[in-house]
Amino acid sequence: MSRRPPRGEYIETDTGNKVARKATLVGTQNIILGGKTVIQPEVMIRGDLIRSVQAQSSSGGAPASNTAVAIGRYCFLSRGCCLRPPGRLYKGAFTYMPLRIGDHVFVGPGSVVQAAFIGNHVHIGSKVAVGESAIIKDYVRILDGSVVPPNMVIPSFSVVAGQPARVIGEVPEGGHEAFELRDLYKTVGNNPQPAPS
Amino acid sequence: MATTSSSSKRHSILPPAGPKPPVQFSSSITIADSALLTGSHPITISSESVVHPRARLESLGGRITIGRRCIIHERSTVGAVGTSNRTATTDKGVTLGDYVTVEVGAAIEAGDTVVGDGTIVGVGCKVGAGAVVGKHCTLTPHTEIAAGDVVPDFTVVYSNGVRRPDRRGVAELRNKGQTRQIEVLRRMIPSNPAKFQ
Repeated sequence: MSRRPPRGEYIETDTGNKVARKATLVGTQNIILGGKTVIQPEVMIRGDLIRSVQAQSSSGGAPASNTAVAIGRYCFLSRGCCLRPPGRLYKGAFTYMPLRIGDHVFVGPGSVVQAAFIGNHVHIGSKVAVGESAIIKDYVRILDGSVVPPNMVIPSFSVVAGQPARVIGEVPEGGHEAFELRDLYKTVGNNPQPAPS
Repeated sequence: MATTSSSSKRHSILPPAGPKPPVQFSSSITIADSALLTGSHPITISSESVVHPRARLESLGGRITIGRRCIIHERSTVGAVGTSNRTATTDKGVTLGDYVTVEVGAAIEAGDTVVGDGTIVGVGCKVGAGAVVGKHCTLTPHTEIAAGDVVPDFTVVYSNGVRRPDRRGVAELRNKGQTRQIEVLRRMIPSNPAKFQ
């Protein structure tokens, strides 16, 4: 009997997602990965915290979506970070709201993200705590160790730091190219390639 | 053959269990299957409290008492054996009051540590051994309370240890919100208290 190929550290899906075997994904049926997303070991995603109060849809009859966490393309979730949907009281009842993440979002090691929305090309440093229902727009850089308070709205091209986090500057002109994560995507996985120098 | 190879493929997700602590659970608690309970001293959890997946309760350093309607979030550690060389004068490890929330990744060290009613221990906080946190306090993310420190009632600790009194008077409202949140979590988290008994 032929030996099966050695099991890699990552599971690579058809759409190019690389999910570490040691990541903890709870409620996987409620997590959507857009493709080419890297999930490193010890990452935890709480997909089981779904919306318990449905918003009244004007169209009517549309199937209620149970998505708890939706992640775009080329996102990079570093080791030990944790994504969980924000909870809040809505019309007198407690419910979790879906956590939506755009494309090219980097989440640093040990960060805890409970935002409601994260735009495209966002860089979150290491050991950051993003409070519940925060809204982070495109091209935002959150420096290491920041504590983003609940319900904060961070405008595009901001640099944010501190405990509690404040906007301390803006991304310089031309600086948005540093947010590209295509090269980082290639450096992890079962047969990683060295980063282009 | 096929069955044996597939069964050998399954790896244990959880680390090998240590000594199983004696537990005293109320019948109305919700405790996730993948919560980790270790240690030798008894662990008491009162009615309607919720323990999320991957939360750790360690009773090596003394008994753990958790009050009513507490929420222990994932990856938090209650009763961690501390780095500070305090010798416990009693066998009480950690005592949590009622309506306490321990957020993601927070650590409460053992050794006669007390957290009062209605207190929120934020994301990634550390509460040292022997510290006494009062009632209805808010420890914002990444706060560290030193071993043996005393935090008076109605205190907000933020921004690396700055303290201010909380005069909003929202303790009652917060307790109501916690009750609603627990109602939702009971439906979402599959409870398995029998595993620990």
